[in-house]
Amino acid sequence: MLHFAGYFVGLNVETGPLRIILAATAWCTLRNPGITRSPRNKRSLFGMHLLTSLLLIPVFGALLIALLPGQQVRLIRTVALAAGAAALLFSWGLLILFEPGTTGLQFVEVTPWNPRLGTSYSLGIDGISFPMVLLATLLTFIAILASANIRDRTKWYYMLVLLLEAAMLGVFMAQDWTLFYLLWELTLVPLFFLIGGWGGKRRHQAALNFVLYTMGGSVFMLISLLVLFDTTPGHSFAMDTMTSGARALPVYTQVMIFLGFLIGFGVKMPIFPIHGWLPLAHVEAPSPISILLSGILLKMGSYGLIRAAFMLPEAMVALQPLLAGLALFSLIYGGLLAWRQTDLKAMIAYSSVSHMGIVLLGIATLNIAGLTGAVMQMIAHGLVAGSLFLLIGLLYERTHTRDINDYSSLMQVTPRFAFFTSLALLAGMAIPGTAGFIAELHAIIGGFEAWGWMILLISVGMMVTAAYSVRTIGRLFTGPVHSRMRDLKDLQPVELTAAGVLATGIILLGIAPQPVLELMAESIAQLSAAFTGIQGS
Amino acid sequence: MHKLVWLIPLLPLLAATVIGIGYLTGLNRGEAGEKQTRRIAVGAAALSLLLVLLIDGIALLEGVPGQLQFGTWLHSGEYAIKLSFTLDALGLSMTTLVALLSVLTLRFSVNYMHREAGYQRFFMVLSLFMAAMLLIVMAGNALLAFVGWELAGVSSYLLINYAFDRTTATINATRAFVTNRIGDAGFIIAIALSLFWVNSVEWPAVLSCTSTLEKLQVGLIAAAFLLAALAKSAQVPFSPWITRALEGPTPSSAIFYGALMVHAGAYLVIRLAPLFEQVPVLMLALVLFGGGTAVYGFLAGLVQTDIKSGLIFSTLGQVGLIFLECGLGWFTFAAWHLAAHAAWRAYQFLSAPALMHFMGRPARPVPRWLARKRWLYTACLQRFWLDSLADWLLVRPTRALARDTQAFDQQVVNRLVGLPGSASAVSSLAQWESIKHGQASRIVGDSGDIGQARGAVGQLMEAVATLLHWFEEHLVLKGGDEGIFNLVQRLGKGLIKIESLLSEPRYLILLIVITFIVIL
Repeated sequence: MLHFAGYFVGLNVETGPLRIILAATAWCTLRNPGITRSPRNKRSLFGMHLLTSLLLIPVFGALLIALLPGQQVRLIRTVALAAGAAALLFSWGLLILFEPGTTGLQFVEVTPWNPRLGTSYSLGIDGISFPMVLLATLLTFIAILASANIRDRTKWYYMLVLLLEAAMLGVFMAQDWTLFYLLWELTLVPLFFLIGGWGGKRRHQAALNFVLYTMGGSVFMLISLLVLFDTTPGHSFAMDTMTSGARALPVYTQVMIFLGFLIGFGVKMPIFPIHGWLPLAHVEAPSPISILLSGILLKMGSYGLIRAAFMLPEAMVALQPLLAGLALFSLIYGGLLAWRQTDLKAMIAYSSVSHMGIVLLGIATLNIAGLTGAVMQMIAHGLVAGSLFLLIGLLYERTHTRDINDYSSLMQVTPRFAFFTSLALLAGMAIPGTAGFIAELHAIIGGFEAWGWMILLISVGMMVTAAYSVRTIGRLFTGPVHSRMRDLKDLQPVELTAAGVLATGIILLGIAPQPVLELMAESIAQLSAAFTGIQGS
Repeated sequence: MHKLVWLIPLLPLLAATVIGIGYLTGLNRGEAGEKQTRRIAVGAAALSLLLVLLIDGIALLEGVPGQLQFGTWLHSGEYAIKLSFTLDALGLSMTTLVALLSVLTLRFSVNYMHREAGYQRFFMVLSLFMAAMLLIVMAGNALLAFVGWELAGVSSYLLINYAFDRTTATINATRAFVTNRIGDAGFIIAIALSLFWVNSVEWPAVLSCTSTLEKLQVGLIAAAFLLAALAKSAQVPFSPWITRALEGPTPSSAIFYGALMVHAGAYLVIRLAPLFEQVPVLMLALVLFGGGTAVYGFLAGLVQTDIKSGLIFSTLGQVGLIFLECGLGWFTFAAWHLAAHAAWRAYQFLSAPALMHFMGRPARPVPRWLARKRWLYTACLQRFWLDSLADWLLVRPTRALARDTQAFDQQVVNRLVGLPGSASAVSSLAQWESIKHGQASRIVGDSGDIGQARGAVGQLMEAVATLLHWFEEHLVLKGGDEGIFNLVQRLGKGLIKIESLLSEPRYLILLIVITFIVIL
């Protein structure tokens, strides 16, 4: 946060945006603060903090936009696109430096923040958070691409989107619980304004709802964190110190603390029955924001849950049946409600509840296969839900209806729409050859290892998924040509690029998942090792 | 020379394949293609015959080759099926007979079928049949013989169906084929039993099983083969199919039902003679079935008025006699009878179309002794009601059962799983038009509204979904969000009220007083 403050001070002094960037970069480069705890810090390129730089790219973009006059819509959009692309390229460039075979964190940066409280500004990524970072930059760029139709208050819109990106990236990279919590809460601010400012008819209610729900959950998370801080001897908020302290606690205390985390992260994920904010927020949010909401924001919840589970393994083992039950129920509950929706966006929203059930199920297995399935499903669902919201959003811009009954035979009018939407829906069904299949397969294998044939219950959820997916494909694309839908425009080049990138990702991960699996293998092995000792005894 | 034995059945098979491919690619269609077609068919058959004759010549000098093996065809676990041929005295002579008659019939058909619509098809199927028949008589094991057995059945079906645009032809072809399938079932059972008990289907192994197996087991294997033989040779009670089979072109009738295929069953019985000799009951059965068929063929043949029917009943009578001879244990005599009858009958059938020209006097009337016994005469005319009996016993019950299961499927299963049945079809041309013009939104009954499902499982799913939806609406959405709003608003109102009360002087003073009391 010191960095942030520094930039805001610098902002008042400097005038030209270019000079600000240059000055700030130089400052950042030269300062080189921090107690280096890990030798991996040497890997900082040119002595620069890579993750901080990644965090700052969208912030710079937002600042740059703030300095531009509001009428220059095209320029603002160009800058936003450039910032999004820069973050995208930067984060994907880290793939070159990232070493998949090594355990532990990489690109670690630690700067003490408030030594008396034991807080620090520390960043780092491992095989679980790195894919999330890559997904976040990709989907944000796609969302900015898909925002061409936002015409009023564009300046604010793009600023907020870029700030949201920075906060999301921070959540995935934070290695200190205070920083994590701070950035977690920070995502709410841009989202509140984005939903409330550019959403649909009931946007105000949706925005308020969303913030209240998440804040309500966050309170439990905060209490858990404070209790944990209080009971651990180290009196530090750094994730690794807290982990070693938490594991020494008695099981009962661990369970109580974990329940707090479960509520906090469960709201975001969402887990039944605390998913009430999700349908409204997804439906009312503008489509690009829906992409971010379902694509990344939900993953923050499951990511946090994985981190909390690693911290409190005994509680996790004790609560395993509860989590599995909740996961299976969420899976079927979300699926059946998705099946009942006539609003396409509401359908995708509830399908998210269903798909995140698989993630929770994978986490609850506590074994390597299941956890791999969970992280894969997070990636797969990010791509699938992202492309569905993208396509349905673009369709809505053309037809101004989201009611599935109004659509018919788009196959003949808009074949590209039909292709990409069908692909995304099929990937949601986890058809082999798509990313979802790899994820569900791992989750099922993990579940089988953990509970045996009980895992067959998952097939009920899969059948429900197939029911609404195939129904939707049939309703949208087959049947007689609707006279009102005769002259719809098909996907334009930019939109085609966005949809194509996501579709490529879905298929690539489905056909050749090995690189991604290798990327996260070490971290997941480390994660599951935390549970094996406890389960064995 | 013996290494080329496998070429004998393969050549006609290749000819059939080449003609078929040629027809598909349009190389030999129409009258122009007739020359090419007949050259391939007759050429391949003649080459086959030449090979057979060469082997015959060697056999005359050096004795018969006997069992020949050409590697393994199928292998699974301890079961191995070999690609083998049995060219003993019986097999070799039968092969010669089949090849010779086939070549003659093919040559005859060249002129007979000239300018017929299905010329190429006819030659293809006839070549296929020749290959099948050669396989039956040459095969060294039951499974290879069964391949020929089935191919013969299929080519028989295709030739009865030659004029497939006529309903009678298709009905008769189906009936003949299905009747033959009963015999095929017997053949398959026999193969399975042999594999199970003898561990081999090679003819020598099967024939020598009498020493190792019990009487009952031998009897069961032989009985299953007998069933196959009876059906293929159209013995009573399977006889009616052969009269229906006359629907095909005359040369095919000659070769199939006059000369060769009808004798396949008899050949099988002669081949398995050692088995039958061990089981007196089956010998008796052979006598009964054969004798019955002979009487049936003789009596029914007396009252026929067209030449082909007359010939076929007399064929039946002769084949019945062959079975009878087998039953009496005169297997060698039966084999001679078979060969002589096949040659003679082939000649008769082939000359049947022209026979009328040679007949100087009208056909003989029904003999007086038969005419006098009216019940027998009627029975003969009705061919002893065998056809109606099969209808009554098998066809009608099967049909009724099919109807019932169809009804069950539609009434119960379809409703249970929620298949749409016929409701989703477009019901009128006008509807089709309106759908094409984009006026009608959806076909009525095409699929339910969102959230509605058909079938038992669908209904269950719908009920659960409705329940969950209610839960979501009332507890999660309203109870959660709006409930929180209401609570916050009520709380806020209460606080405002307290605030306003506190700002009034009397409460302010009261508060101060209370504070003082607490402090003191």
